[in-house]
Amino acid sequence: MINHIGRRQFMQIAGLTAVTAGLSSNIAHAAADRLRLIFWGGQARADKTGQASAIFADKTGIAVQNEFLSWNDYWTKLATQIAGGNAPDVVQMDYRYITEYASRNAIAPLDEFVGQQLNLDDFDEDQIQGGSVDGKLYGISLGANSMACVYNTVILEKAGIELPQGGFTYDQLYEYADLFKQAGLPKGISVITDSSGNEQVLESWLRQRKKALYTADGKLAFDADDATEWFIMWSKLRDAGVCVSAEDTALGTGPMESSMLVTGKAAIQTDNSNLLVAYQALMQDPLALAPFPLIAADATGGQYRKPSMFFSIATSSRAKAEAAKFLSFFVNDLEAAKVLGTERGIPCSEAVREALAPTLTPLERASLEYVSSLGDILGPIPPSPPTAAGEINQSVLANISQQVAFGMQKPDDAGPDLVQQANELLSRS
Amino acid sequence: MVRGKARPWYASAEGAGYLFLLPWGIGFLCLSLGPILWSLYLSFTDFDLLTAPDWVGTANYVRMFTADAKFMTSVRVTFVYVLFSVPLKLVFALVVAILLNRGIRGLPLYRALFYLPSLLGASVAIAILWRQLFAGNGLVNQFLAQFGIEGPSWISNPNYSLWTLIVLAVWQFGSPMIVFLAGLRQIPADVYEAAQIDGASRWRQFVRITVPLLTPVIFFNAIIQTIDAFKTFTPAFIISNGSGGPVNSLLFYTLYLYQEAFGYFRMGYASALAWVLLIIIALFTAFAFLTSRYWVHYDE
Repeated sequence: MINHIGRRQFMQIAGLTAVTAGLSSNIAHAAADRLRLIFWGGQARADKTGQASAIFADKTGIAVQNEFLSWNDYWTKLATQIAGGNAPDVVQMDYRYITEYASRNAIAPLDEFVGQQLNLDDFDEDQIQGGSVDGKLYGISLGANSMACVYNTVILEKAGIELPQGGFTYDQLYEYADLFKQAGLPKGISVITDSSGNEQVLESWLRQRKKALYTADGKLAFDADDATEWFIMWSKLRDAGVCVSAEDTALGTGPMESSMLVTGKAAIQTDNSNLLVAYQALMQDPLALAPFPLIAADATGGQYRKPSMFFSIATSSRAKAEAAKFLSFFVNDLEAAKVLGTERGIPCSEAVREALAPTLTPLERASLEYVSSLGDILGPIPPSPPTAAGEINQSVLANISQQVAFGMQKPDDAGPDLVQQANELLSRS
Repeated sequence: MVRGKARPWYASAEGAGYLFLLPWGIGFLCLSLGPILWSLYLSFTDFDLLTAPDWVGTANYVRMFTADAKFMTSVRVTFVYVLFSVPLKLVFALVVAILLNRGIRGLPLYRALFYLPSLLGASVAIAILWRQLFAGNGLVNQFLAQFGIEGPSWISNPNYSLWTLIVLAVWQFGSPMIVFLAGLRQIPADVYEAAQIDGASRWRQFVRITVPLLTPVIFFNAIIQTIDAFKTFTPAFIISNGSGGPVNSLLFYTLYLYQEAFGYFRMGYASALAWVLLIIIALFTAFAFLTSRYWVHYDE
């Protein structure tokens, strides 16, 4: 009896051991032949990324498991995953957060893989620089883009406006508003979105004045007078009916579907060049790109080529070498490039760009040509922003610009207020 | 029968009871009590989710009450919301319950229809619907335009946005209404008959019979609705797209807490915010219970 039970127990233990052994060998394997990837974006990006991953799996035998979320949900999930120690191997990273994640050791430096698994021989220098924090490479740029006015060609044509290739000035906006009125366009269409709370437009405006948002050591690089002048300029544009009203602007905080361009409240939307294709998918009227407004016809240096987003490798990843191989494939492989197009911005490898050019749709080619034809108004890429930059943008700048727009604060007070609150956040983080 | 051997502990009635409770017990310890105590600890730390928590003592609490304008804004927004939405909602629920209690035809249908909004209550869909209804060119303004009134964009104007959400809360009066209906059914009809014979008007019957006999139900509804209102998150999150704007007019307490925790990775500070909210709700509830013996009448 005892003997029998003993034997059954023995068999059970033996079986269990076998199963456990099988499992653990699977886990050990998983690190090598399966990668996890997480990114933000829409269905179109997910489809393209999935196709590229399939090509990678065919070539290397390493499967890539994709997961994507919207921008807001993405950062919540990523932070939670990193805190829980189970972050995916490859994570999509943004220019705004790369310093934060790198300085907290959540993403790994990639320098040891460069020249090995990671081939960057043909990669744009400014994009490598853009992915570096404190001299170490933390992110591989997936595409360059630049700030751009996405504009509705039909409305501007009706008003008799042809946007100059090299950019139009802030002062010209008043003329455009007059032309809008004379052309008898449907009521409620303004020339341009109210961009007083748009960090990028402010940055471009500051750069044309030879200032910047932040210094290399993470301090504010403009003063209260600059900020006051900025708010005064937008108040004037608002009063003259050039830009969208405060009420309408507050409605457009979310997805592209509710943007002022798509809902027909503005003819010109300030945004990023790689979003041209996505905006066009939501609209009938043909769209085109122009640079951000200039402070004067001969102003230079306002724009820069910004990495639209990066892939980084989580510090917790146990398959960093394989992940580096995937990154290299993603930015260099010509087959992958044809699938990916310019959805994440202009490819950063010269060879990829050349191979891609003939296969692009007219719209994709327009965004490629836009970024490569900026000329003098293009300046150097600024250092990656400090940790508090995201909060200063979302919480301080957005709120103060709304206060001014709704008449709850005078532009004269808003400037010093912005600088003071921004400095507080910078010193606290 | 096996004799001489004690039955194993789990075979006794008590043992089996505890065994059945075990899944709940584990859940309570691991998923409720554990995280609660952990968040109390975190509230005294600086914790960014990515690196280990850093003990800072009471700094989070001190900052909250001395140096955080947004905290004060969020408290004000939430208090205005609670103080207006809860009483309005209860009055509305009671009035509709009394109307429905008159034995009208198709009562189950009305009950279901009125209950529907609270069923969908804090859902994303309702918040989006609300956003559409109260936008500048939404249905509400189209209706007002019939009378020549040009309405503002209710949800994107800081002067009106919070009130739009209060209207949304009042509209979801279904669940307190159902409870009121049940309470009204408990009042014996002969009390009213006796009052009628004595010549009491309908209003007098309402004030002298209905309300006093309903006070336990009113008390229950008031507490539940107040706690719910303090925790409001979804409508503000959806309508302002997580920003609490325009001009922080929809910066509800829980939304601010969420921003601090997941927007700016200040988990320690967010935990402190959560504990302050707990204390505020506890104080409100305690106050309600303490005063209840002066106005809540139970059957003796």
